[in-house]
This record gives sequence, C-alpha cells and structure tokens, in this order.
Amino acid sequence: MSTLTDEIRGYVVTEFLDGEDTSDLTTEFDLIDSGVVDSLGLVRIVSHLSGAYAIPVDDIPLKPEHFRSIGAIAAFVENANRAAA
Amino acid sequence: MPSLRLCDALAAHARHRPEAAALVWRGRRTTYRRLVDLAEEMAAALDRLDLDRSRPLYVPAHKTPETIALLIGAFRAGYAVLTPSPGLGAAVLETLTVQARCSAVLTIDDRGALHHDDVPQNEAAARGFDAVDPTTAHLLLTTSGSTGTPKIVPIGADAFDRFAAWAVETFHLTERDTLLSYAPLNFDLSLLDVWTGLRLGAAVVLVEEDSATDARHLRDLVAEHKVTFVQGVPMLYRLLTQDDARHPHVRTAIFTGDAMPRPLLARLGAAFPGARFHNVFGCTETNDSFLHDVDPAAAGEKTPIGRPLPGVRALLLDDEGKVLDGPGTGELFVTTPFQTAGYLQRERNEGVFVPAPDGGPEVFYRTGDVVSRDAEGLHRLDGRTDFQVKVRGVRTNVQEVENVLATHPDVAEAAVVALPDPEAGYRLHAQVTRRPGTALTSLRLRTHSAAHLPRHAIPSSVQVGDTPLPRTATGKPDRNLIKALRQKGNHA
Repeated sequence: MSTLTDEIRGYVVTEFLDGEDTSDLTTEFDLIDSGVVDSLGLVRIVSHLSGAYAIPVDDIPLKPEHFRSIGAIAAFVENANRAAA
Repeated sequence: MPSLRLCDALAAHARHRPEAAALVWRGRRTTYRRLVDLAEEMAAALDRLDLDRSRPLYVPAHKTPETIALLIGAFRAGYAVLTPSPGLGAAVLETLTVQARCSAVLTIDDRGALHHDDVPQNEAAARGFDAVDPTTAHLLLTTSGSTGTPKIVPIGADAFDRFAAWAVETFHLTERDTLLSYAPLNFDLSLLDVWTGLRLGAAVVLVEEDSATDARHLRDLVAEHKVTFVQGVPMLYRLLTQDDARHPHVRTAIFTGDAMPRPLLARLGAAFPGARFHNVFGCTETNDSFLHDVDPAAAGEKTPIGRPLPGVRALLLDDEGKVLDGPGTGELFVTTPFQTAGYLQRERNEGVFVPAPDGGPEVFYRTGDVVSRDAEGLHRLDGRTDFQVKVRGVRTNVQEVENVLATHPDVAEAAVVALPDPEAGYRLHAQVTRRPGTALTSLRLRTHSAAHLPRHAIPSSVQVGDTPLPRTATGKPDRNLIKALRQKGNHA
C-alpha cells in the first residue's frame, strides 16, 4: 500500500503541483476543495488510473469522493484491483 | 419560474397532459401531474408555516425534481426565493441570506419531505439592501462573483415572461421538445432550459451536478431521452463530441458563456447533423442580449456574438464616453426587455445601471465588455475593460482573487494572472512572495483560498517564494512578465 501511495503522490505532484513546494502534502490533503484537481483534472486522473493500474474505465465512477486525496485515490485503486483479482 | 403565469401554465399541463414527463433525473421520470401535486403540497406546507411573505425564502439550488417543485410551491404561496449555489461556503451563504433578509432556509429530500430552519435577522448587515417585493420578482439569482460576496439579482416576473416568449418563438420550441439542462440550477441559463421548458410543457432532462464532466453519461442521456435542445458552455460540446459521438435528435444547439474554439465548432456539424446552431450572448443582469446563427462549415476565426435581439438596444461607447455610430470598437452598454431592475444592494447600481447614453428613455446596463461592430452591424466580443476573465465559463475577477490571497497573514504580496487554456478558457496562476521568516507553502495558501473563494476562482497553480515580485517602471507587479515567464516554463 505504501508503494502505491508513493506512486500516486508522485503522479499528483508531477501532474498537478509542478514546481510547487509539496513538503507538507499529506495523504489527507483535500485536492479538490483546494483547487489542485478540478473537474477536468478528475478526467485526467481517471484516464491515468485506467492505464497505469489496468482498471477498465467503465469501472471508474467519476465521483469526486474517490479522488479527494492521495489516500482516497490509493484506496480506490487498491479496492479496484482486489475486486478484479 | 419566476412568474405566476408559469404556475398557471404548469397547472394547465397537469390537467391536459398529466402523464407527460416534466423532468427526468437519475433515470427517474417526474410527470406534470406529480410535479404540480408536489408543488401544491409544498405551497400548503408553506402556508402552514406561515412565514413572513415580505421576506424571501432561501432554497439552496440543488438540481433535483423535488427542489424544483419546492420552488414552484414557494412562488405559488407568494414568496420570493433566493437560490444560491449549494457549493458556496457557509460564511458566504449566511451573508447572502442576511442581505436579502431571508426568513428561513428550506430544503427538501428525495422523498419530498420538507425541512426548514429559521435564518437569524441582522438588520444592520442588510442596511443598503432593498427589500424584495414578492409580487414583482419571485426569483433572486446571484452573480458568479469571484470573491465571497456574489451580487443578488432579482429576476422580474414580467421580465421572465417576456424572455420565455422570446425563446419559444426564436427556437421554435414546443411541448414535444426535450431540453437538456446542463448548467447548475442557480445559473441564469436555467431560465431557458428549465423554467421556459416547464412553462411550455416540454420535458427537461436534468444533468446531475456530479456527472457534469462525464462524457459517456452525457452522451447516453442525450441519446436515451432523444434530447432536442442543448444549451451550454463550449466544454459541454467538447464532451458531447468526444469519440465521434452523433446526436441526430438535437434540433437546436446553443453555445454561450465563452468563446467557441474554431476546431471544436468545425466538429459540430457532424456531431449534430439535424441541428441549427446559435451563439447566444448575455449575462445575469440583462439575460440574453445578442444572437448569432452559426454555420459550423463556414466558421471564421472568431464567432461573432451577432446582432441585438428584438427589443434590445446596444450602444458602443468610446474612451471619451461618446456613442459610436456605425463600425467601431467600444464598451458595450445594453438594455433588454428581460433585464433586472437592479442589484439588491443599492450602491452597486451606481454607474452600472445608467440612463441611456444617447438620451433615450431606458435604463442601460454597463457591461464592462469591449465589443466591435463591423459595417454589416455584426458584433464581436473583444475582451473586458477590467480584470475579468472566464474560467470554465464563469466570470472571474483576477484582482479580487489577488486581494483574497493578500489577506493571508504570511503573504507579503501576491499577483494573479490569467493564462489562456484550451480546455478551461483561462487558468489562474498565482505568484506570491511570503513574509520573511514565515514558512508559507502553496498548499497552505490553497487551503486559505478554499475557505474564501469559490472553486473556479482558486488558482490552478501557486508559486510561493521569498524574492519580491518583478515590477514595472511605475512600481506595480509586472503581471505581463509573470505571465510570460510562466508560459515559457510550461513549454519547456
């Protein structure tokens, strides 16, 4: 799980927080309320998860609560992979 | 909704076509009979509560059939209703309800159960705000202010009736139409795609708030319900044209709120083979003012906003405030048969709602839009006279965002610039210098922004540093340089 969380943290930092000081980016930080990820950003995340973790796009509901924080995204991927296994 | 004629029309639809669909939401049909029954129940419940009719009700604008029934019931019972976005922060909502002197907040759940809470009165905070007359204006919309305090815009009942009549005639709408309601219920667009649709007896398909960027879902909604009328910002059309989707049932496609990019426009003909296309221009204060019929196959670089609607007068004023005759570029002053009588806050109206610049009898609205007119009388939107840009279709004042960032105690200075973006129209970038000795980070500043700004106004990128902002010769932050450096950085 921690590797997965690190991967997702890396993805979020590269894609959405390019060049910003992210030393205080926790796994609970609200990415949506804070404007880091907007509605178009959600679409990008879904597309990334689908490719990187072999989750069929049809199985990814575009609901903000799954993508609200790094922890939430990691939990979502974890669950999706477990469901598929 | 905002008129008693609408209520009468709904009652007639419920009598003559009780089983016709009024609303479709999350796959559930609400018939005219059910909608009117529920609205009557709500009106009766409000009568029992016996709230002060000289004070508006506050109903958060959740886009559900039950909320729409509640609004209709409230109009029927003689109340004006303030319908702000449910997404606004609690502090902002409280300010709005106090300013409008609302008596109570009402919500309704999926099963039609009504909940109400009293709103505390604060006459001092409402000083300078007009009282709402529920006999002339039933609906109070708010502008999409970029800071915490949107302006309250009463929508006159007569103004709405005139608007509905114009829209029905212009777009040849009938009770056989099915309209897609894409924008949030608190947006002025709902005056056409929800309220005019219901007044007419047509079917309205409500796009759920949490599915607005789900291309597959939108495509399925349009196909399954054989939608004939679509209205929205360019992003809606981007989503509806993904994967070469085709929508043969759509007869009317209106784009509004933002400039339609040419490559997207060029795709519309194939995606909507049976549709006529219209670029519609307006704002909450005046409702629609300009219309341009568009042929996607013959689209130029920039889609005109077209010509003033019937009954609309549009004047362009040059830098000296002189009314331009014939072709030229100037600030748009406009008067429409659909416009509000003014913001609720009296002092906001000064210099904005003004006497006709050419001496006519009407009240004109000063738009702040820079518009060009060519020799044929076709108008094009060039930009703004102030610091406003559109972020995802929502008017946003860059300077107000700057002011909010500057209120953080660790911020020494902040500059916000708007960067053109193919998806969003514009994205905001903030460059901030922190006070010496503080450990301010961009994430902390984002959390601060989230508490004080609506979502669309939170900068997409935030750069926090210790070096002072670059300055122009006159000592102001050099926004052009900041913009140029950021854009260069993104290309690298």
